[in-house]
This record gives sequence, C-alpha cells and structure tokens, in this order.
Amino acid sequence: MHASGWNVAAACIEPLYNMFMTADEVVVTIDLPFVTAKKIRLRHLSSDAIEVYAETSRMISFKDLGIKHRHGEFTCYHARIKVPAPIKRKMTSKLKRGVLEVHIERLG
Amino acid sequence: MRVMSTRLFSDDGFRILETADIPSDLVLINGLPDVGLVGLLAASHIVRALRLEEVGAIASVMLPPMIVLHGGVPKLPVRIFANSSIAVLLSETALPGSFLRTLADGVVDWSKKKKIQLMLSLGGMAVANRQDIDVPKVFAALSEKGLEKRLQGAAEVMEEGYIVGAYGLLLRKCAEESIPAMALLTQSYYDYPDPQAAASSLNAVNKILNLKIDVEELLRKGEEIRLRSKDMMHRTHEEMQRMNKPHEFDLPPLYG
Repeated sequence: MHASGWNVAAACIEPLYNMFMTADEVVVTIDLPFVTAKKIRLRHLSSDAIEVYAETSRMISFKDLGIKHRHGEFTCYHARIKVPAPIKRKMTSKLKRGVLEVHIERLG
Repeated sequence: MRVMSTRLFSDDGFRILETADIPSDLVLINGLPDVGLVGLLAASHIVRALRLEEVGAIASVMLPPMIVLHGGVPKLPVRIFANSSIAVLLSETALPGSFLRTLADGVVDWSKKKKIQLMLSLGGMAVANRQDIDVPKVFAALSEKGLEKRLQGAAEVMEEGYIVGAYGLLLRKCAEESIPAMALLTQSYYDYPDPQAAASSLNAVNKILNLKIDVEELLRKGEEIRLRSKDMMHRTHEEMQRMNKPHEFDLPPLYG
C-alpha cells in the first residue's frame, strides 16, 4: 500500500489503489471518485510500473471538505504504481461504481 | 468547554468518560473503522440522522496521542452518542490491533453495567466482485442461538468463518456475558470507503430496530464521502494488514 497524498503543488491527489495477481495477469484497482471514464489516462511506464492520471469532473478544495487551516485545490488524480510481476504493455480497463479496474497481461 | 459531570468507568489504561446522563437498556451500535469503513460511515450517518447527543468518550493510553477538532472543539477520537433508546460508539482514528482486546473487554463490561439490551456492530465483508454487486447483501454473526428472530429477515446468518478484529472480540465477549449481540457484515470493498454498502447496512438496522433512517444522503453524497474518507481508509487498511485481516478469507478447517 502507499501513502495517501494531497499534492497541493501539482493540484493532484494520490488515489487509493490495490492489486492482485493471477497466473496470467496483474489486476490493479483504483478508487476514483468524481472521475468519468473519458478523463482517465493509463500509461505503461516499464515492465514493472504503470501510471494513472485522471481529471476530476470538478475542482475539489480543502475548503469544500470543511478544512480551513490547509489550503489546496485539486483537479486530478495521479499515481505511479509499481506492480509485483513483469507486465506487458497492453492494458484493458473498466470504470464501474467509480472504481477503475485495470487488467495487464504478465510477461513470460 | 463545560463538562457537566464526568463519571469515570475505569480500569487501568482504559476509561469510558460519561459527559451526560446515559440511560440504561439502550441498543448499542458500534461503528468502528474496518473493511470499507462501512460501520463508521453507517454509524456516523445514524448520529446525524437521529441527532444523537455526544454523551461520552473512550480514553486510553493505548490509543494514539491525538484529538480531533470539530467546530473548533477538541474531542477524543473514540466517542459515544445517544438518545433515550440508542447509543452509538464510533471512532475517528484507526484502532491499533494491540488495543482491541482492551476495547472489547471495556465496552462489554460497560454495556453490562448499563444493561445494554442489544449490541449491533456494523462492518464490511470484503468481496472480490464488489463492482458487480448492485445491492450489497448483509450477513449476521450472532452471539447466541435464538437471536435469528430479531434479525427480522434483514440479514443472512453466518454459520462458519473467521471474524478478525474488534467485532469478533466483542461478539465473543458478549456471548460470555449473555449480552445479545450481532455483527452485521455487509458486502463491500476491502480497502475503499463504501457508502453504498453503509446504506445497505443501515437498511438492515432499520428493519432490526424498526427505525426509518433515510439513507438517500449517503448515496447522493457518495463520491464526496469516499474522497473525504480516503485518508481514514488508508490508515485503517494499515491496521487491518497488521492484524492479518485477510485471514477472514480463509475457510475454517474444522466443523463445529
């Protein structure tokens, strides 16, 4: 698991994510409230990492969430996710109930 | 801040501070951080919907040294709310596994002295295919046979399995002390906040206790709730991993 982050400088939130492996693939799930499928970009970074970037449907601020002593406005999610097995470039994904499920074939 | 009266129901390292009169014979609903934050989301919604008064808190050296500010007022993170018939115990911090036995013993001892008539613990049951489930189902683990009738058909009884964490300990301790108790576990994501599962959990609570709590707000504000609860879910997930929560996916090797 990873540190939950609010990157004020980049206006980006690091989303919650998790993953599991089958014999053939690595499945990564990412929780993306306030995101539509069209605004999601997935990138194969290397044989053991992917990147997800998603624009939110509206700007989210700490103030909206009732926090007055911290300042921050966020318009996207961003995460670089290391996976525990070598993976191919091709990925398929589906967004359902605000959770993105990414299927990546394992190498070898 | 005026403390009306502080009665300490104490044992070493664990205190239940009562800051208002708490009647006897209540139903106690537990909403502790757990799978999908289902219980915490459901319990906090009950507190808002029924406008329960804050009546106490749990203090312990085994909890993280912290307070939480609400409306500018410093509060202990584990608090009790109540009206004349229902009490709710919830926690705004992830509870360390090392604290849970003390918590279970302390809460059940307090419940016995308060003559709690029924304890309901609300939580999640992680399922791999949560994304394909439109209406999460509720399962119930019971402290004693015969409690099935009180479910009013709201949940299916769990016959076999593991429950790791506070709710398992509370259930077992209630069984020892003959306090009727149920753990209501709703299908949910393991480590993403799940307001929809919380709504299903509340629908079950409504049936069992003959209440009419409206869950519409939980569903309508689902995305905001998920985002606001993100950090809490992350911390809860860390504690769940430490106490080997995935053991709940295992099949018990023996029968009976």
